[in-house]
Amino acid sequence: METNSKTTSWLIIFFVLVILLFLANLWYGSVLIPWQEIFQILTGSGDINAVYNVIVLDYRFPQAITAMAVGMALGVAGLILQTVFRNPLAGPSVLGVSSGASLGVALVVFAGSMYQFNMLNSTSVFHEISVVFAALLGSLLVLSIIISASRRISNVVTILIIGIMIGYTVSAIVGVIQFFSRAEELHSYILWGLGSFSKTSVNQSIFLLGASMIVSAIVFFYVKGLNALLLGDHYAKSLGIHVRKTQMIMIIIAGLLIALGTVFTGPIAFIGLAIPHLARNFFKTSNHRILMPAVVLMGVALTLGCNLIAKMPGYDTSLPINAVTSLVGAPVIIWVIVKRGKVKRA
Amino acid sequence: MKALLEIKKLETGFELSRKKSLSLHKALDFELIEGQFVSLLGPNGAGKSTFLRTLLGFQNALSGEVLYDGISSHDMEVKELAKKVAVVLTDKIDESFLTVNEIVSTGRYPYTGFSGRLTDEDRILINDALNLVGMLPFSERSFQQLSDGEKQKVLIARALAQQTPLIFLDEPVAFIDAPGKVEIMELLKHLSHTHQKGILAATHDLEAAIRFSDQLWLLGKDGKVAKGNPWELLSKGIMSSFFDKGDVILNTEKLRFEKIQITNNLTDETTI
Repeated sequence: METNSKTTSWLIIFFVLVILLFLANLWYGSVLIPWQEIFQILTGSGDINAVYNVIVLDYRFPQAITAMAVGMALGVAGLILQTVFRNPLAGPSVLGVSSGASLGVALVVFAGSMYQFNMLNSTSVFHEISVVFAALLGSLLVLSIIISASRRISNVVTILIIGIMIGYTVSAIVGVIQFFSRAEELHSYILWGLGSFSKTSVNQSIFLLGASMIVSAIVFFYVKGLNALLLGDHYAKSLGIHVRKTQMIMIIIAGLLIALGTVFTGPIAFIGLAIPHLARNFFKTSNHRILMPAVVLMGVALTLGCNLIAKMPGYDTSLPINAVTSLVGAPVIIWVIVKRGKVKRA
Repeated sequence: MKALLEIKKLETGFELSRKKSLSLHKALDFELIEGQFVSLLGPNGAGKSTFLRTLLGFQNALSGEVLYDGISSHDMEVKELAKKVAVVLTDKIDESFLTVNEIVSTGRYPYTGFSGRLTDEDRILINDALNLVGMLPFSERSFQQLSDGEKQKVLIARALAQQTPLIFLDEPVAFIDAPGKVEIMELLKHLSHTHQKGILAATHDLEAAIRFSDQLWLLGKDGKVAKGNPWELLSKGIMSSFFDKGDVILNTEKLRFEKIQITNNLTDETTI
């Protein structure tokens, strides 16, 4: 399983693309900011226009960084889930894991509202940490239900349906919680639930990207185990891999990444499922040593690209990010199902 | 001759609950030595797969022990066991982008670091293994697009790349056409006799097992067990006692099962 020079050049091309898309996200919007201004603002040199400075640093910069963090976190989580469950249709949103994270957030928001705090609009670090923690617990709760279901059921589509049903159940619970919430929390929770890259502060966005990078880096140490799991549990064990341990660590990491990719942005649909398929089919490989950097770079590029599209040329407001990601992601699911059907018949 | 595998008083079966268990075979005593090709035979549902899974530690033995190179498998890390025995299983591999070379290179995993990076020596061993099974020209091909026979040879190469003294195979010739079957059985015989591998193959193919293997281990229903030279087991009628099912019996000359035709002339006469 070797990386060849063609793969390496494509990874470099994607890296350059990510930088260009990042700069484009700073440049583009209802106000176009001249390139030299962007460079001056980023390097902090020269004569900086105060309005441009605010637009770039306070609005577009955290938004672009958040988009990058979400693309990386959900892409890597999707790759892990697809390998560990040996299910090409696994992903944060389809398995209901994002909904689990949402439930965690809803519970904390509701609990906060009883003490007259608005957890989603709070500036307190303690409140931010408790929201992150609740999202993590919620995603791990759903993942543990999926694990026990997939021990009993091997059909990948059945597991998918169970995941979708968990998603509905969780939404119903959230609905009940909302019923008892104050109007103010309800309003901010519903806004959060629509999904957006633009509500994070500079600090939050940097935390998200840093944490996503650190957690994703851990996955590089499990490349061998993930590759062995592609052959199935028995082969992996016969190759000296601690199968259960590897699966558990990977699932906890996926839970962490999904929590990170949901907590400040709201659930972002289909990104986590689509990116690993795009990476596999572009690089024509299942080898995680190539897929990991590919998923990170393509994931980041895709979310930055979606964010650009959402800024709709000629309009002052932007589209909901979930509308854009669904338009990209849902066709990928259909394509995967159709392709699987073809393989089965052949 | 060195005993690669010793099975002592092994009891296979399933733990149903903490106190209850379903025992399939009791007090199994087998030994597999260097350069020996053993076929494991038995009717459906007798417990061949359970036996193999127990040897590999995929499921627990009810009692007894399994020794690899004299070391009990209880005292062995999964990584150590991976250096003693390689497997060819019936589990389907359906990843669409894995190449032949990538499948075989997983055989080197017990020897590589956490990233699975291969050394030049690893690459030589992988090519040697592919060459030995005649699949080297297919190295860069997609595994998924191979025929069943070719896939099986690649999986055998994968086991060879693992450089273990023992190779266990589950149904190596099921779903393979007649010439392919002979090719694979000849290959296994060659690996054991020329390369000193100890080979244990669970199979339903009586004829192939008798023709190619040095010893048979028979696992029957109701805990029945036998072992020995294939032709001896056949001539002594032991084979028949394991497999005959009602009026379908083993023809020991043609090595195939036939339904006995009962021609009853008496009834014809009485009706007249």
